[in-house]
Formats: sequence, structure tokens, C-alpha cells
Amino acid sequence: MTNQASDQRWGELGDKVEPDWAPERKWAVRAAIVRRAARRHRVVRTAVGATSVGVIAVGALALVSWRAAVPTAARLDSDPHTAPSAPAAMASGGEERTSESATVTVTKLSPGTVLTPLPDRDGRGFALRAGAARFSVPHDATRPFVVAAGDVMVEDLGTTFTVRYVAADQLNIAVEEGRVRVRTRDTDTEVSAGSTLQVPVSRMGKVAQRPQRSSGVVASWRPLAERGQYDEAQRMLRKAGPSAVRDDTADLLLAADAARLSGHPAEAVPYLERVLRGHAHDPRAGLAAFTLGRVLLDELGRPSEAVEAFARARSSGGPLAEDALAREVEAASRAGDLARTRELALLYQRLYPNGRRSRAVATFGKVD
Amino acid sequence: MPPTPKLRLARPFPDLVKGGPVEFEELFTRYGQYVARLAARMLGSGDGEVDDVVQDVFWIASRRLSQIVDMIQARGWLATVTTRVVRRRLRRRHVRRLFHASPYRADVPAPGATAEQRALLARLYEILERMPTEQRLAWSLRYLEGEPLDAVAAACGCSLATAKRRVSAAKNVIDEVFGDD
Repeated sequence: MTNQASDQRWGELGDKVEPDWAPERKWAVRAAIVRRAARRHRVVRTAVGATSVGVIAVGALALVSWRAAVPTAARLDSDPHTAPSAPAAMASGGEERTSESATVTVTKLSPGTVLTPLPDRDGRGFALRAGAARFSVPHDATRPFVVAAGDVMVEDLGTTFTVRYVAADQLNIAVEEGRVRVRTRDTDTEVSAGSTLQVPVSRMGKVAQRPQRSSGVVASWRPLAERGQYDEAQRMLRKAGPSAVRDDTADLLLAADAARLSGHPAEAVPYLERVLRGHAHDPRAGLAAFTLGRVLLDELGRPSEAVEAFARARSSGGPLAEDALAREVEAASRAGDLARTRELALLYQRLYPNGRRSRAVATFGKVD
Repeated sequence: MPPTPKLRLARPFPDLVKGGPVEFEELFTRYGQYVARLAARMLGSGDGEVDDVVQDVFWIASRRLSQIVDMIQARGWLATVTTRVVRRRLRRRHVRRLFHASPYRADVPAPGATAEQRALLARLYEILERMPTEQRLAWSLRYLEGEPLDAVAAACGCSLATAKRRVSAAKNVIDEVFGDD
């Protein structure tokens, strides 16, 4: 057989290979393709859904972890050390949850509530200037949670409690769980769960009810400062002159806040010194001394004077004592007083062997 | 003397418009039978396996319609995809045979063939079954399907020279076996 004949034979034979492509077979194959497409669509949809759920779950987990890790004050005030007492501007109305973490839950209960975090408390201290707020706080003996309201200091002993101004000169503390300690100028009372305590309070708003010599200007800086509008408050204070500030701890502290938080720390110093000179026995004198130390050390670069201010804050005792001693070590170190630095560092280690500032103290004091 | 190509299926459908959009329904309607026949000739097996190949080919086509320029180009594109799908099946068949899992039985769909032609086809596919897959595919496309060598090279995804070499190697074996017939 020749090549060409052989090739021709395979061609003819190939023609005989012909599958029966009947319509029913054709449509069976077509239906199988449609089923396959539907199956693929389901698989893709399931995969996309599962991936989306996974991404959302991871995101939610990350958010929850982040919220649990960041202390309350860190969210109200991004860096309480570098921007001390930056106002949280929480004067909004209604019942509003202002901050929450794994350790502290703070809820504003009235539209006019003004609540600012206390400096260096890492979210475990607030100043209530107006309105009402509810605090839910797990107790930490090493870091007591405090609420300063006028000249009243409320310290938690593991609890959920509400602090409310019921009148300009009356403060109501209602305890839902646990206990709190309420310190006023004259008393020191523990309030347990289910009880309420009403105490007189001296606060900034009270002054507005008093006769004023130049009420138009003099009265106007306080509400601005209470609302956290420190720049405007400071401008009004300068216009009004020194007589605009009463010789009253709350008024002096508010004026100091307006000065330093509007970027004029040097002008805050006289107000704070007036508190220390004229109201040394006031429960907030320690807070004033501590604030003065921070202004002198962090903002004015006067560490030697800061050492004395922190020493004063420490001697006042209370929940600020540990922080005050730690900052005293830092101030002494920056002032170049090595002997005192070491002495204070050793004192800190003795008083607070597991203190939360141990590392910083060891670094400044150069002790193991 | 080189074989004379028989371009039986090379002619496009007369009503096809060059550059027109490709719709899946039309593609399947026009070329379903072509793909089934091509698969049957390359595989040498019956309905079930052919249906699987047709399904695979048009499943791929349904997801890559954008790659098909028009209905005229579609035929060559489908031939290439069919060759690839059949190649995978033949290789699987080789592997199964290595483990004696599934011995090949000739089941060639040839309804119009005589008894003698059926016997010849059965013997041909037994020989092709023992041949390297690439040579088998090239020879089948060239002689059973009657494609020109450049179309064989395109469908097999190789150069023209390689296609020629594969076709020649397979032809030598076939001629040797069937030379006396």
C-alpha cells in the first residue's frame, strides 16, 4: 500500500468515528455545565462569605483587644504625660457613655456634665466640674480610682457609683456596688452599696451666685473654663485682671487649668502657689502641688523647684503619693542632685516594691 | 510523498461574521458536535468520556469567552482546549494502566462502520494506546481529523517542527504495524 493510499485510509476511517450527538445528549451536557456553574457560584459565594466573616471577626477581635489594652484616659487624652490634663471636652448632653475600658467605665448622665481626666492617673482619676457621671471601677489597691468634685474627693474601694451635683453646693454620691470613701474638708466617710451620701461642696459655679464686683467680665471666664474653652477663658481672665479669681481652691485650680491648658504654663504657677500658701489643709492641696511640679518640670524646665513641689504633693498623702515620689525622683535627677535622686529612688523601692513606676525610678535613680 | 490534507472541518460556517461578539449559547450550539467528534477521535472511547470532555471544554469556554475573538476563531480555540483536556485524560489513563487499575477497552463510536472497519479501528486504538501521548495526539489530529500541520502544532501547543516530528514518529509506528494490511 502506498503512503498516500494509507493516509487516505486513515482519513476515511476517522470519518467513521462519529459520536451520536443527539439533542437529548446535547442538552444533558448543557445542563451539566449549568449545574457546574451554579455549584461554582455557590462555592465562590461561600468562600467570599466565609472570608468576609473571618475578616470582620478578626477586625472585631482586634478592636476589642485594642479597647481592652488602652486605658480610659489614653482615649480621652492621647498622652496624659506629654499633654497633661488635656480636656476631654465631655460637655455633651443626655446619657452618654464617654469612655470604657477593661478596667473603668465612665458614663455621663446629664447634658451639662463636664468631666476631665486628672493628670498622671492613667485613666484612674477624673475631675467632675458639673453635672453627673456614673463610674464602674474594679478596685486596684495600688492604683485607687478617684473623682475630684470641687473640694470633695471620692475614692473607690471597688465599686460602681454615681457622683451628681444636686445643687450648686450639694454633691450626691450614690453607691450601687462595693464601697467608696468620700473625703471633704472636714470629714472622711465610707459609703457602702445601696447607700447615698449628700455632702456640701464648694465648686466654681457657686461663685456665680455671689455678688460680683464686675459681673460682666469676671463671671464669664468660669463657664468657658468649665466647658474646656481654655483659650477664651484665659483671654477673659487677662482682661479681668487678678481680682477675677477668688481666693478659693476650686477657683484657683480652674484658673490654673485655664492658664496652662491654653499654653501659658508660667501664668498657672501663681494660682497653684496661692493654693499651697493659703489652703494648705485643703484636700486638693496635694493635687495642686502635684500639678505645680509637673508644670515646673515638664513645661518650664525648673526641676529644682519641681522637686519641692512633688515633695509637697507626696507629703499630702492620698492616691497621688506614689506618682509624686516617682516624679520627685525624676525631677531630682534632672536637677543634677544625684545623692537625693538615689535616696528618693531607694525610698520608692522600699515603699512601693511592686510600684508601677519602678522601672522609671530605677532608671533615674540608677538603682537595681 | 507528503499526505494531502483533508480540511473537512476547516471551513467556517458560512453565516459567521468576523469580529462579532461570542455568545455561549451560540458557541455551544455550533461547536458542541465538533468538540464531541474531535474528542472521540483522539480518545478512541465512547459516550461517557466524550461527554465529560465536552463538558470540561465548554465549562472552560464559558469562563473565558472574552478570550475568543469571534465565532470563526472559536473553532481553533476550542480545538486547542479540547486537545489539552484530552491530553490530561490520556495521561491519567496511562497512570491507571501502570497500576492495572483500569485496562483500556476499545469502545469507539463508529455507527456507520463495517465490521472490518470496526476491527481495524479497535486495532488502531490499541496501537495508539501504547504510543506516547503527544505523538498520539499529533497523529490523530493530522490523519484522523485531517488538520493541516500548522493547525496540529497550534492545537498541541508546540512548534511546527515538533509537530512534524511527532506526527512522523507516530506514522512510522502505524505504518510498521499496518504495513502488511
